[in-house]
Amino acid sequence: MPAFSRSLLLLPLIVVLAACRQATPSLPAIQVEISHVVGAAPLVIGVALTTPAGETLSVKRLQYYLSNPRLLRADGSWQAPPQDLQSPDGYYLIDAAKPETTHFLLPAAPAGEYSGVEFTIGVDEVRNGSGAQTGALDPAHGMFWTWATGYIHFKLEGRSPASPEADHAVTLHLGGNGLQRTVFLPFAPKPVRVSTDIQPTVHLHADLAAFLGGAAPLKFAEQPLVMQAKDGLPLADRLGSLLSVDHIHHEPAGAPHRP
Amino acid sequence: MKSRLVPRRSAGRVVLLAALLLAVFGGLALNARGGVERLVDYLALQRTPSFSVPAGWPQPVYDFSNNPITDAGFALGRQLFYDPKLSRDGTIACASCHQQFAAFAHYDHPVSHGIGNQNGKRNAPGLFNLAWQPQLMWDGSAHHLELQPLGPLANPVEMDQNLPDLLTRLRADAEYPARFAAAFGTPEIDSQRLLRALAQFTGTLVSANSRYDRYRAGDTDALSVTEQTGLASFRAHCASCHTEPLLSDFSYRSNGLDAEPKDPGRSTITGRDEDRGRFRVPSLRNLGLTPPYMHDGRFDTLEQVVEHYRSGVVDSAALDPVLRGGVRIDDGERDALLAFLRTLDDPAFVHDIRYADPGARR
Ligand code: HEC
Ligand code: HEC
Repeated sequence: MPAFSRSLLLLPLIVVLAACRQATPSLPAIQVEISHVVGAAPLVIGVALTTPAGETLSVKRLQYYLSNPRLLRADGSWQAPPQDLQSPDGYYLIDAAKPETTHFLLPAAPAGEYSGVEFTIGVDEVRNGSGAQTGALDPAHGMFWTWATGYIHFKLEGRSPASPEADHAVTLHLGGNGLQRTVFLPFAPKPVRVSTDIQPTVHLHADLAAFLGGAAPLKFAEQPLVMQAKDGLPLADRLGSLLSVDHIHHEPAGAPHRP
Repeated sequence: MKSRLVPRRSAGRVVLLAALLLAVFGGLALNARGGVERLVDYLALQRTPSFSVPAGWPQPVYDFSNNPITDAGFALGRQLFYDPKLSRDGTIACASCHQQFAAFAHYDHPVSHGIGNQNGKRNAPGLFNLAWQPQLMWDGSAHHLELQPLGPLANPVEMDQNLPDLLTRLRADAEYPARFAAAFGTPEIDSQRLLRALAQFTGTLVSANSRYDRYRAGDTDALSVTEQTGLASFRAHCASCHTEPLLSDFSYRSNGLDAEPKDPGRSTITGRDEDRGRFRVPSLRNLGLTPPYMHDGRFDTLEQVVEHYRSGVVDSAALDPVLRGGVRIDDGERDALLAFLRTLDDPAFVHDIRYADPGARR
């Protein structure tokens, strides 16, 4: 029998399979939206702000990786998509200057209630050593140290009159293994529900004041330039305070699903 | 714009080529039996190298399963390696500092010489057996073969080329989109394809055909008696770091070059003070082809190197304990050791036309 007519025999099967797929309407994935703020005020690129240490800073660039999201189920177990070392899925490069990078969908999760999400801020050690990558992990994005191979997890660049560097430059590049930080963001006050008729959105704040502040606020007069893993290490724990959940929406899912 | 790499053959060149082929194959035919063998060898050489692990060698670190070697992929990697278009001003190719006749080291250059006649600070090592190296560079700054080219591409004294601009240039090129399509199925050019094509070339540079290798494989005639004495001396004094068969254990050590190293070496990467002045133990294969020696190319000859181990080892906190006080080798043993070190050259590797400049071959 010619191959073509043989494949015709498969047609009914394909139709049935396609029908089955349509019968289970897809679940809306949890959407994440990030607002960049400095305390209560929005962060505006190029506009001077006052840091917790009382210095003036005008941000030119704020970029960082969020990766490997895992959802905590109400019963305490984790929901995580399998890792594929050949795919950039699950890696998000956030750029405060590019609105299209500040919202994304989490990997599909089964229906149910989730009480929080965990992210790595930065690119984990395994992926850091897995060769040429694509998508968010494409080294052409400039989040990569070419002289000490490895991703830059977090980049803050700008100007501060307090900085003793040429042009009062501020350059904080946190990269290298050991500087990634894992954060767990609880969904409060109520859990996030994943179901066919709801589009959940988790709204995060990335607060530069929280990152720069803390018990010993960062002073650009003393530390205007960090470009090596060993200099960045003392700052890496600050990554843990960058993100928090501001609020959560549950909207009716976009289009009505037909069986 | 016509590409430099694939000049259109004029009628004259075609005739010349035909005459040349006729002469070569005519010559081969006249040479009867040996000729047929040589023809077979010649055709074998024309093929894309397949990656195979030489007998007795460990498994490689680089995993080709994500980047399977294909004819078009290897050919693309080879073209890229030899193409100065990869540098900002179109003057420097990878091959400018990695020359095949020098086993892909930068011959006679203590430190590399890049764009705008600028000098780097380190000696360009020979390129071979890279698929076995857990990290690359003297300080191990590149921890993956595919990502290593990002170093020289970005380095302002080497190729000074930022990646997005390079990709734009390659996409606009008359030839590259078709070559990427042949290698990867579609003409898209992204950094992963660029880097993987280069890795198909650099990763298949395998050098395992020195006289020393033949001796190891059981051909006792491959080394003279003196050279065999030298091998015994090598195993006694050197092989703890220059581990067989790759002739490196790929660790980072100080062999006592300086008390106060100018180049921080491995500590640049680890940030640890004790790694200051430590460098990757280099392979010693093709040693006769890759002078000068050490991370800064300070020694011009192997005699100087061996004399360093005999009488020049400088103490420091970083110095490897094995070398404290130097290595005791008398003059006779030294001469045998030097004779042995010269058996590590692999002429077949440096003459393998599959690795040669694809532009020059046409
Ligand atoms: C200007 C000269 C120069 C150019 C151009 C250059 N290299 Fe190198 N290469 C060097 C030097 C110097 C080193 C050692 C650097 C170090 O250890 O810091 C090196 C190291 C390497 C290594 C590591 C070898 C080992 O044993 O660790 C590889 C692989 C390599 N180069 C490949 C390339 C490729 C591929 C290109 C083109 C994209 C390239 N090089 C372009 C000078 C150069
Ligand atoms: C304790 C470990 C150790 C031992 C033992 C040792 N070496 Fe080395 N060797 C090194 C290191 C590390 C380097 C690189 C040093 C640098 O460039 O800073 C090196 C570099 C070399 C080089 C330069 C290679 C090049 O391509 O530039 C040669 C040649 C060499 N060794 C030969 C020998 C010989 C011969 C012996 C035995 C007499 C020996 N080594 C013993 C660690 C060792």
